[in-house]
Amino acid sequence: MAEHSAGLKMGSRLSASEATAHAIPRNHVVPRRYPGRVIAVIVILILALQAGKAVATNPNFHWEVYAEYIFSPTVLRGVGWTLLLTVVAMGIAIPLALTLVVMRESINPILRGAAWCWVWFFRGTPVYTQLAFWGLFAVLFPSISVSIPFGPELVSIESRWIVTPAVAAIIGLSFNESAYLTEIFRAGFRAIDPGQIEAAQAIGMSRPKIWTRILIPQAMRIIIPPTGNETIGMLKMTSLVLAVPFTLDLTFATNAIANRTYLPVPLLLVAATWYLVITSALMVGQYYLERYYGRGQGPVLGKGGQH
Amino acid sequence: MDGAAVNPAVEVRDVHKFYGDFHALRGVNLKIARGEVCVAIGPSGSGKSTLLRCINQLETISAGRIYLNGELQGYREINGKLYELSPRQIAQQRRRTGMVFQRFNLFPHMTALENTIEGPVQVKRQIKAEAIERGMALLERVGMSGLEKRYPNQLSGGQQQRVAIARALAMDPEVMLFDEPTSALDPELVGEVLDVIKDLARTGMTMMLVTHEIGFAREVADQLVFMDNGMIVESGSPYDVLTNPQEARTQAFLSKVL
Ligand SMILES: Nc1ncnc2c1ncn2[C@@H]1O[C@H](COP(=O)(O)OP(=O)(O)O)[C@@H](O)[C@H]1O
Ligand SMILES: [Mg+2]
Repeated sequence: MAEHSAGLKMGSRLSASEATAHAIPRNHVVPRRYPGRVIAVIVILILALQAGKAVATNPNFHWEVYAEYIFSPTVLRGVGWTLLLTVVAMGIAIPLALTLVVMRESINPILRGAAWCWVWFFRGTPVYTQLAFWGLFAVLFPSISVSIPFGPELVSIESRWIVTPAVAAIIGLSFNESAYLTEIFRAGFRAIDPGQIEAAQAIGMSRPKIWTRILIPQAMRIIIPPTGNETIGMLKMTSLVLAVPFTLDLTFATNAIANRTYLPVPLLLVAATWYLVITSALMVGQYYLERYYGRGQGPVLGKGGQH
Repeated sequence: MDGAAVNPAVEVRDVHKFYGDFHALRGVNLKIARGEVCVAIGPSGSGKSTLLRCINQLETISAGRIYLNGELQGYREINGKLYELSPRQIAQQRRRTGMVFQRFNLFPHMTALENTIEGPVQVKRQIKAEAIERGMALLERVGMSGLEKRYPNQLSGGQQQRVAIARALAMDPEVMLFDEPTSALDPELVGEVLDVIKDLARTGMTMMLVTHEIGFAREVADQLVFMDNGMIVESGSPYDVLTNPQEARTQAFLSKVL
């Protein structure tokens, strides 16, 4: 009996109670049954099987065409480009959005205003329009030059060597995304207790250190789930790059085949399959990120409650 | 360094603080000698936290001067004119004071040990292995041996506050500031934190402490100040202020808390 009261006090002198912890016979509990759950599972299984059968045996789905194209080189190249566009665009959008958040929280009104305008513009115009604009960049500005304003030109390069369709697609997607991410990140930082900044200041941390060591790691926990959402959204948003026009992504590839073969359904299924595969991979990545940044913060949703 | 021996560790000279129109500090003067423990008591809202926060520059003062070991805090004074220091210089000055907050403010994404070595490694650029060795020693000193790997949410309030004290000590501050370090604690946990602070006082650390624990104040204070309405109403030895208060306001406050 003495072990019980000692075990309650979670302190530095645990050793005695820890040693006896193994010896305590644990309660043997017969788990409660939930017949409603079993019925629900059966109903769902039956419905799923029927739906599966209806899809699998329906000749209109042309599964033989699906099988022919699912691993075709054009499709695989499309998968590669879609993945690349997603990763690179997010890879640019995230640091860009972080910079914009720091600007938004800056004491300098010019920086704050510039960040506000960026978000206002890129959130306020359609991505499709932005992508078309970036596609036309080389036409609108044939050369990019570094010069003294109203003075002599220092270096000049032809735009079409820099703003290629792939670059235009990436710029368009990432700039647009950065505006949305800025708002998500800002909410994440706002959720941090101001006492954290004071504690960091009290040990003499500089502003950049406070951002990188204290604020960003804590905001991550809040930021990651919606950012994962945005990444999956981005994956599908890459199909809009035909506005540039950029013609190597997954949707463009499967649409082109469908137009050639007059069989849109199996190729839509091919595209859908690959988007699902990539999304699943991204979700696994998100799981590990959430686990890493959730350290020390306990489970977000209580794992204890069973009901 | 010249004259450092004669300069008080902390000197607050006619400091005023306004929050907008609100006059939170109304001409505060205070000297804390090296190795001295100064305890501030007073009713809630009297400006005790504000004074501590001004000393380590979490707030900027509206008038007056604050010196730490003779060095003006926050500004450079040339021909009677004050020039703002850079954020880096202010950060450097802040390192010289350790602050312990009422709500602990431990970094939740770091373990007890990581909290303790964060300043030394990131700010002082100490070698990590050395910082860890020192951090372990400090955690042991505050009675936290064996709990170094716990995250703050796995520690009791008293344990968190002791880690917070270790974190502040790890920066080797010249002055430790405590803002009601036990006010957020369950009554049975107050003692363990006060013991650590008492221990620290014995080692000759210069400290300023805001507390409502009058008995503790009597025990550790070399200088006791009573604040009310943004002013230091009365100060002196704890014996004088607590048993023989001169001011009516001090008497009124003490009659309520004693
Ligand atoms: N950031 C602030 N803005 C406006 N008023 C404040 C702020 N901080 C403190 N005050 C006011 O200043 C007074 C002194 O506060 P404080 O120093 O926290 O008192 P104490 O610590 O003695 O309880 C209070 O009336 C409080 O409302
Ligand atoms: Mg206070």
